[in-house]
Formats: sequence, structure tokens, C-alpha cells
Amino acid sequence: MRKKAWREAGAAYALLSPTLFVLLLFIIGPILFIVFLSFHKVQLLGATSFEFVGIDNFKRMGGDLRAKIALWNTIKYVIIVVPCQTVLALILAATLNAGLKGQKWFRIIYFLPTLTSSAVLTLIFMWMYNQNGLINHVLAAIGLPTYNWLGDPKVALSAIMAMNIWSTAPYFMVIYLAALQDIPDSLYEAAELDGANALQKFWYVTVPYLRPVTSFVVIMGLIGTFQLFDQSYIFSAGSGGPDNSTLTIVLLIYQYAFKTLGTMGYAAALAFILALIILMATWLQRKFSKEESLY
Amino acid sequence: MKGKKLATIAMTSLLVGSALSGCSSGNEKAGSGKESTNNNGKVEVTLAGWGGNPTEQKLLQQTLDEFEKTHPNIKVKYEVISDQYMDVIKTRLVGGEGPDVFYLDAFEAPALIETGVLEPLNSYVTNDFDINDFEKPLLDAFKGKDGKIYGFPKGYSTLALFYNKKMLDEAGVEVPQTWDELREAAKKLTKGKDVYGFGVMPELARLYYLAESKGGKVVTDNKASFADSKVVEALQPIVDMHLKDRSTAEPKEVGASSGSEMFGQGKAAMVIEGNWAIPFLDETFPNLEYGTAEVPTLDGKKATMAYTVAYVMNKDAKNKEAAWELLSFLTGKEGMKIWTSKGLELPSRKSVAAELGFDKDPLRAPIVAGASYATVWQNGTNLPIIMNNFNNQFVSAFLGDRSLKEALKEAQETANKEIKGNE
Repeated sequence: MRKKAWREAGAAYALLSPTLFVLLLFIIGPILFIVFLSFHKVQLLGATSFEFVGIDNFKRMGGDLRAKIALWNTIKYVIIVVPCQTVLALILAATLNAGLKGQKWFRIIYFLPTLTSSAVLTLIFMWMYNQNGLINHVLAAIGLPTYNWLGDPKVALSAIMAMNIWSTAPYFMVIYLAALQDIPDSLYEAAELDGANALQKFWYVTVPYLRPVTSFVVIMGLIGTFQLFDQSYIFSAGSGGPDNSTLTIVLLIYQYAFKTLGTMGYAAALAFILALIILMATWLQRKFSKEESLY
Repeated sequence: MKGKKLATIAMTSLLVGSALSGCSSGNEKAGSGKESTNNNGKVEVTLAGWGGNPTEQKLLQQTLDEFEKTHPNIKVKYEVISDQYMDVIKTRLVGGEGPDVFYLDAFEAPALIETGVLEPLNSYVTNDFDINDFEKPLLDAFKGKDGKIYGFPKGYSTLALFYNKKMLDEAGVEVPQTWDELREAAKKLTKGKDVYGFGVMPELARLYYLAESKGGKVVTDNKASFADSKVVEALQPIVDMHLKDRSTAEPKEVGASSGSEMFGQGKAAMVIEGNWAIPFLDETFPNLEYGTAEVPTLDGKKATMAYTVAYVMNKDAKNKEAAWELLSFLTGKEGMKIWTSKGLELPSRKSVAAELGFDKDPLRAPIVAGASYATVWQNGTNLPIIMNNFNNQFVSAFLGDRSLKEALKEAQETANKEIKGNE
């Protein structure tokens, strides 16, 4: 009996080993290495050196104005983008699930932005955000003020926000759609018998039923938005400008790791702190939603 | 049940197999890249640069073809790194996959030389190579603290004033000789938001000479010092021209991506650009009638910027002799003549400059004239950090969000904190 158990466990591990190997090499290994790096001053170019500096890298963040700006920009971005994209995804999903004519086509069309690579999307949007671009023309046509979207520090981050809400909402919409199919019709029937109108049905049946999915969507959204990089990188050609308005934490990490020489250790420390912030934000979200779901 | 088990095993072995085959093909690729000789017994040298425009690439290819013809035993593998050049080069050098010979901007040179990844070139130089033929300030830009030479400039560019002849005629404005005249001319040439009198790039690389024109220093002892009141005073006119006169705009405000594009589209009557703008304008806007003049003087003093790029050699180059053959050809008299023949860059060798005679070309004469008094865009190892912080915050003053003094003060503090943290 015991021998059999061992054999089964052995077989299981043998089958798991490729995955474990890949996980160790590409996920666990780098995580541990980052922790190691964050306590060192690292010079990679030329004579490679690792000098142990204790918590100097973490202390340095306190006086780093750019780190503070990056953190503030990122938090602003998260606070606006996550709720917007979640609500938009839910509304899109609900309308698509209402049984409109040709809803399959709408589903495909809505999903297209998510299929496009974010770098390509950003470039297309930079065309539209151009001073003489589509968006300013539309704004002018309906009598609204136009903006220098790419060059004005006051609006540059908002431009990225709008773009990202537009492109990620459909992805979460698909998740909501799948969940909506799961809601038993009997619930709606019961609500109808109680005299609920369409809005009440949505608010008192659909939304509570989707709560575990919402929890998942918000957590994924939090993680995704905290890691904003490519859009602001392309927008500002890697500098985080104008006036540091599109500087995000990950962009700052990139700059310290690859642009400035000899600050890989500080970049690692920043990455470590970012991981902690995301962990904490996720934990807070879970605590508030009080939903012990399987996610 | 049994069938399921079999299927699992089959799937797993398939996955492992594909993973392994993925690895092995990766290794092969890396292996072939490492090998310096290929089947024909030829030596391969890798060369990396940013691509630039099609004209530039064609010229370089022409130069390389000539090299391969005269050096049949060497094959050049040319790689284009089109974006974020320095980030890519640094990462590749760290990974031991750096190219043998590559471009290096003078501005980035001190920091890279200090790391010791470049090969000092003094021992390779022969009398034939004629090192004294190079313009001295350009060559000095690639000297290390140890006095050794780490790169030879492939050419240089300076800034000059480009003006739209038609617009100046219509407004009855003379070509400005001083900055005061330029400011007045810009006012007259501006037509609301359609045409701006003067197009400016709010960047340190373009404003450095202006910033130092009143005696202040942008960099002191490898630290930022551009909050100096003399620097603020020197740059204030640019901000005023944008906010008060409304006669000046940056390219982004009119939807252009560069100063020369803005000028070509007729959205700016005057810009200060380098010689790279000439082939660009001729190709993209062939009907544009424009002239060039030396950058206006300030307080009677002439000033402009010079930008230079060198070819440098990787310390870990596999075949240094062959790499030197390539490097010395490209920066030698013969190679430089082909490379600079179209005037994309001006020759850094005096003999080539004399032979090509760009000083007699009416469009290029002011650019050549600038070389004698230009400031080379380089200042110590920390200039990239200083520039990034300056550019980032100068914009806020340029757009009128805060005063120039305030913006530069904060940018200087941020830059110096970053520099201190790196030490």
C-alpha cells in the first residue's frame, strides 16, 4: 500500500517536473534574484560587481522625488482606470446579453481592441491625439476645447487613461459575458413576479450574482494598471515626460535598470516595493469585498 | 482509464519534447552568432548603428560595399537598432553579445568609456591613418580620462538658422543676425495659430549653447547647475517668445514630430536645425524655398552646437584586427568621403572637408562656419541624467505652468539627487 502511494507520488512529480522546472527557472528564480539584487549595489557593464549595501536602496526612495511622482501618477491611474473599466465592462456585457439583434457581431467588434497589441494601439492613438488629429477635430466640431494631448503635462496621463479603459474593458466584458450566461433564468422570473423592472433586476439580481467575477476583474485590473509601462513608454519615448506626467513606477524601474548605469540594485528595490504595493492593494480589495470565492 | 493515462503521458512527452527542441534550436542560433568565421574562411565583423533615414542607410551600405570589395577576407554583418539605441547596446554588452564595432554619440561617450567596455585604439593607429587630420575638439570628445582614444568621429553636425524665403519676403523681414532681431522677426512672421515665426525644440541638446550664453554653466563638476540665475536669464526669452509674444511653438503643438517637419510643412517660418535637415527637406518638401544662415548672435557672440558620433570597438570583439580594419576604413579618408558625400554629416577630417568643399555650398556654408565656434554636445558622465531632468521640467515652464526659475530649480535638485544616489 505504502509502496503504491510512493509510486503514485513519484509519477505525479515526474509529470510535474517540466512545469516545476520552468517555474523555478523563470518565475521563482528571478523573484529570489530580485530580492538579492535589491540589497546590493550592482554594476553590470564592464567589471561586474555586487556590493552589499544593506537597506540603502530602500532608504534612497525616501528622498527620490521622481519615485514619489511615479507612485502618485500610478495611484491616480489605478483609482480612475480600474472602476471605469470594470463598470464599462459590466455595462457592455449586460447590453450584449440582452438579446439584441446581431449581438454576436457586436461581441466580435467589441473584442477587437483587446486583440490588438498595446504598442500598435498606442501608436494609432498617438496619431489620433496629434494636435491636428481626429480627436481634436471631433472636439472642435462639437464645440469643445481642444488639447495638446501629447505635449501638455496636464492632460497626457488622462489621454493614456482613456485609451486604456477603451482597450481593456472588452477583455473583462468577455469574462462578465460568460458569467452572465450562468445566471439561472428562474431568478429573473422570481424577480419579475415580485414586480421588479429591468433596472431593478439588473441591480438586485445580476450585480450581486456577478460579485465573485467582479472581484476577479478588479484584482486583475489592479495588477494590470499598477504595472502600466508600454503605453507611457511609447507616449513619452521612454522619458516619462512631459514634466514627469506620464512617469509610472514600472517606467522608472526600467529607466534605473537599463538607462542609467549601475542602478540595477535600486531598480530591483523599486520592483520589490511595487510587488508589495500590489499585494497590499489586492488584499485590501479582498477584505472590502468580503467574498471568499475561488479566485 | 488506461487510455486517459496513456494520453497524459503522450501529452507530457510532447510538451517536454517541444521544450527541449526549443532549447536546442536556441543554442544553435547563439552558437552561429558567436562564430567569427563562416564556411568560406571569411572573417565576420558585426557593426551596429541606428538606421536613420533611407538616404543614410543607402550611403552606409555603399560605404560597406566598398569596404568588402577592398577587403575580400572580411564580411560585415550590419545590424540596425532603430529605437532606444543606447539601452539596447548596453544590455547587449552586459550579456556579452555586443557588436564588434558600433556608433557612439559623444554625449554618451564619457559614461561608457568609464565602464571599460571599449577597446582603446591608440595601439592600432598607424601613420597612414593620420590622426592629426581630425578636427581636434571632435576627437577629444572620445578621449578617456586616461588620455587614450576610444573612438574616431565619423562626422559631425552643427546647428544653423533655416528660414522660409517666401514668408520672409512677404513679411518684409530681413534674415535676423541677432537674437533680438530674431524675436522681432518672429512676431512679424506669426499668423495666429497657423504659422509661427519661430519653431523651437524645448530640449537641452538644442538649447545648451543658449543656456550658457550669459556666462552661466549647465553642468559644474559633473553635477547639474542650470538653476543658476544667468542660465535662467539666458533661457527666459525662449519662454517669453512662446507665452508672451505667441510667436514660437514646439513641433508637438502643431502636430509635427520634429523641427524640420514643422518647417517643411510651413508651420514655422524659421527653425534652428542641423545639416540633417537639408536632405530631409529636399526629399520630403522639394518645393520649399528656404535658406540658411549662421545661428543669430547673442550680445555680439557667436554660438552654436556641434553633435558628433564615433565608431568605437567592443573590448570583447572576437577579431580585433578585422574590427580595426573596418573601423579605420569607415573613419579613414576613403570611407569618410563616401559617407559624407551627400552632406548628411560633415566630414570630421580636414582633408576630406577640403576635398568635398561643403563650405562653398550656399546652404551648407553657415553650418560649416559654425564648426569653429560650436560647443560639442558632451559634458561628463552625468549629462544623460541632467538632460532628462531638464527636458522633463523645462516643458512646464515653456507651457506656462510655473516660472522658469522654479522649474529649473526643481529639475536641478532632482537631477543632483539622482546623481548622488548613483555614486
